[in-house]
Amino acid sequence: MLRRAQCLLRMHSTGRQSLCAGQRVPAVLHRNYSADETNSNSGNPNAKRSGTGGSKSLPAVRNVFAAAQDKTKDTYLTMVEIFQERDVHRRNHVEFIYAALKHMPDFGVENDLEVYKALINVMPKGKFIPTNLFQAEFMHYPKQQQCIIDLLEQMEDFGVMPDYEMEAMLLNVFGNKGHPLRKYWRMMYWMPKFKNLSPWPLPNPVPDDTLEIAKLAVERMCTVDLRSQINVFDTKELKDAVDETWIVSGMSPEQSKLLREHSRQKALYIEGPFHIWIRNRRINYFTLRADADTEFLAQLDERQLDEDDVSHIEVPFFGRPPPRRHNQLGKLRSVHQQDDGTIFAICATGTSTKDSLLSWIRLLEAHGNPSIGEVPVLFRFTSTVPAKAEEIEGPASVPATSSDSSSRSRKEEEPSVS
Amino acid sequence: MYKLIRQGQRLSCWMPAAQQIHTTAVQCTFWEREKKSGYKTKLPEPSKKQLIMDGLRDLKEEIKLWRKEVTEQLESDPILVFRPGETDVVFDFKAPDVLDKWTVTTDADHGEGKSTAALELSAAGAGLFHGEVNSNHTKDGIIKRTGYANIRTKRVRKSFKRESTYDWTQYNMLIMKVRGDGRSYLINLHTEGYFDLMWNDIYHYVLYTRGGPHWQIAKIPFSKFFLSSKGRVQDRQGAIPLNRVTHFGFSVAAKKGMDGPFGLEIDYVGLEYDPSHREEFAYEMYQTPKYIVAT
Repeated sequence: MLRRAQCLLRMHSTGRQSLCAGQRVPAVLHRNYSADETNSNSGNPNAKRSGTGGSKSLPAVRNVFAAAQDKTKDTYLTMVEIFQERDVHRRNHVEFIYAALKHMPDFGVENDLEVYKALINVMPKGKFIPTNLFQAEFMHYPKQQQCIIDLLEQMEDFGVMPDYEMEAMLLNVFGNKGHPLRKYWRMMYWMPKFKNLSPWPLPNPVPDDTLEIAKLAVERMCTVDLRSQINVFDTKELKDAVDETWIVSGMSPEQSKLLREHSRQKALYIEGPFHIWIRNRRINYFTLRADADTEFLAQLDERQLDEDDVSHIEVPFFGRPPPRRHNQLGKLRSVHQQDDGTIFAICATGTSTKDSLLSWIRLLEAHGNPSIGEVPVLFRFTSTVPAKAEEIEGPASVPATSSDSSSRSRKEEEPSVS
Repeated sequence: MYKLIRQGQRLSCWMPAAQQIHTTAVQCTFWEREKKSGYKTKLPEPSKKQLIMDGLRDLKEEIKLWRKEVTEQLESDPILVFRPGETDVVFDFKAPDVLDKWTVTTDADHGEGKSTAALELSAAGAGLFHGEVNSNHTKDGIIKRTGYANIRTKRVRKSFKRESTYDWTQYNMLIMKVRGDGRSYLINLHTEGYFDLMWNDIYHYVLYTRGGPHWQIAKIPFSKFFLSSKGRVQDRQGAIPLNRVTHFGFSVAAKKGMDGPFGLEIDYVGLEYDPSHREEFAYEMYQTPKYIVAT
């Protein structure tokens, strides 16, 4: 009976506390959940407990997770273990789990399934299983169930997929009618479906090294052309490079061909920095492009027949050979010939400076694209990353946002042939 | 009913004042007053004179629309053959006044977050949905997670401001020409129903963007879309009713540390009929246990 009363109290703890503030209530109802948390030391499981009686003053809440010295997974698991072994009743376990969930990112364990399991393991087994229909229907031990639902939700937020062991643990704690179980089943239905949905799969977690991320990014952008080659250059290769850094460059044979055929009179532009997200990492990249070959694109449009036009159907039987498809022998449009420009290459450099980009052009020239040397190359920092563009270009000449870029493009001297 | 009210009064007399203040969020599980679920911004109503003037001004356009509808009805010449491989563009960002058809929302609209977003025309002439998503939120004790930006078309309607729906039953593919930044975006197909339970029915799927300077054509079958309501994937699923689509939109979130700028350039959103795609619904439709689903 007393346990039920206590449970009820937990349900309405906030409201009830304000209610009974001025009244006299049995001491057992006054038990404060954060009291032993307050006075116990995480390193010392036998710490003295006080405040369980009728202490009138509010307890100072001390969070063991916030106070921990070295924030590692081992410490975290040790703290959970200490909590489990401290007391046979495991008082405050709901509050403990909430505190533990909140501090997961500090310890760097938010993506670790083992840690979530350890937290579920804090819950007593068998105690919360409903024994009759009414208990099952009315969310037996709601605070505890909600706590584990929140835990599962946090897993979902961080993209941690549960496993079957977790199902067994939840079954032991809440029985097969528990709401956390329902949440678990939903997660196990949907999460595997969504996990590998992306057509550009990425390692999980993504590497911390910028070069690795840059490689991933350039590879991803180059999936548009299957023949693309990713080269990682080092500026040391060049004789008098200013920046010593790496350059990840992506270019396909088709792009090389387009570059060879590009008119020597029309300038090439190095544009950027644009950004691409690789999961939660952001990388700046630059493109080498030219304005769209409008003549060629218009020519393509001309040759396209209007299939809806039925006014000029030619009869193939009389006097004429059957009509052939017109662009059978003509040039086909490459995927790199976009409506708003022809893209010749993509790169990401370690420093994202103008010097490194100049090195990139010289490296491209040295690696099978001698025609770049004959074409004027302009830098055009028209960017969605204005701060970065400003950093590269210098504060004076770059406006904060970009719309019309031609006014601020600055002619750079042709890179010298090395 | 009377008895209940009486009881309520008695209770309120008996209870101390503190008990009447809700310390937790009030859950109105079933009934909802309006479609915005409490997020409706009260705008000042224009004066009666202004209303009449606006009405008369709109009347011209509405009659034009109505005339078009009537002629269409009389002509009675619907498209019957949907040729495979042919994309019918629904939302074209190259069209004039296209930006008026979209609404941009972020979590900052109601003071719940700090994200910013805008829909503009890009240098390439397409629509550019860009901004910055931020998962830092106002610590008011109620909001747990924020950081989103969203664009949505306005409700499709007939003349005289009557609401209607799109009818896309003849198609089975959603085609989009986009240029993203490597983020994944959420495609939202709203199928707002009549009853309050169906006001928030949205079918979702993910739009993965490649990133980079090249345009990308995403082709997503409608069978892949799954139902959710208020951001919760529903237990009872079903294929999207394509004759009841009311809005279309994209969302982007700052989940899993993806705070920062985003940019999605959209050229067009179209529809296609692909006869080789026979799937009706991509997810299992087996019998689910009683008293467990949808609880």
